[in-house]
Amino acid sequence: MASSGPLTPAVLHILLALSAEERHGYGIMKQVESDSGGKVKMGPGTLYGSIRRMSDAGLISESDKKIDPKLDDERRVYYRITALGQQTLAAELQRYRQVVAVARERLPKTAGA
Amino acid sequence: MDGYARWYRRLLRLYPKPYRERFAVSMEQTFTDLRRERAGVLWIFTETFAGIVRERATDLGRLAMTSNVFRIVKFAALAVAGLMVAGIVTVMLLARGTGEDITGVVAPALLLVVLSVVAFVVATVMQGRQRKRDVAG
Repeated sequence: MASSGPLTPAVLHILLALSAEERHGYGIMKQVESDSGGKVKMGPGTLYGSIRRMSDAGLISESDKKIDPKLDDERRVYYRITALGQQTLAAELQRYRQVVAVARERLPKTAGA
Repeated sequence: MDGYARWYRRLLRLYPKPYRERFAVSMEQTFTDLRRERAGVLWIFTETFAGIVRERATDLGRLAMTSNVFRIVKFAALAVAGLMVAGIVTVMLLARGTGEDITGVVAPALLLVVLSVVAFVVATVMQGRQRKRDVAG
């Protein structure tokens, strides 16, 4: 997954959501919704399917973080981004920067045409 | 646990077992969280069902990548060849003594038998190669 080209929107958003802190499934869902300004709404089917693939690809892993059961449900599984996940995210963001740079170069020309 | 949660648990049983063992509890928890926020039940069920279809398709694809696909081809080829041979024998027995020309029926059936045998041989060879690759890998 790391070197197989552009990431899917779901994978990119999940990596972004986990880039700042470890989160559980529902936490990832809320963060993705917030990051995208409500435009990306991920359901459990998409979220956990992506988590499985990302976990198998080594982009994220289950965290050892144990939350106080009084404050949170102890059954919750927290996920964290791995070093490979961070590299993959950085590479994807770099790819986006390049796309934006090309677009910035071309847009004035097309606007003027 | 309310009725929706019970139905959701039942729906999760449709996931492949390894997936279910890994994520079912988390998914139930997420379902509860979403319900607390009054998310549409129909949307959650539909979205989860789509996820089940995706996971099942992925599993099927993975299965086809292994030698199982060659096994399926082998069995299918054997079944077709067997049926065709049985059909040819039946037609020959029925036509015996009647003087009817059965070439038009027997010839295509024989062709299918030959093709099935070829498919069987090819699948067997490919399965052998796959096994060697698996052992080497």
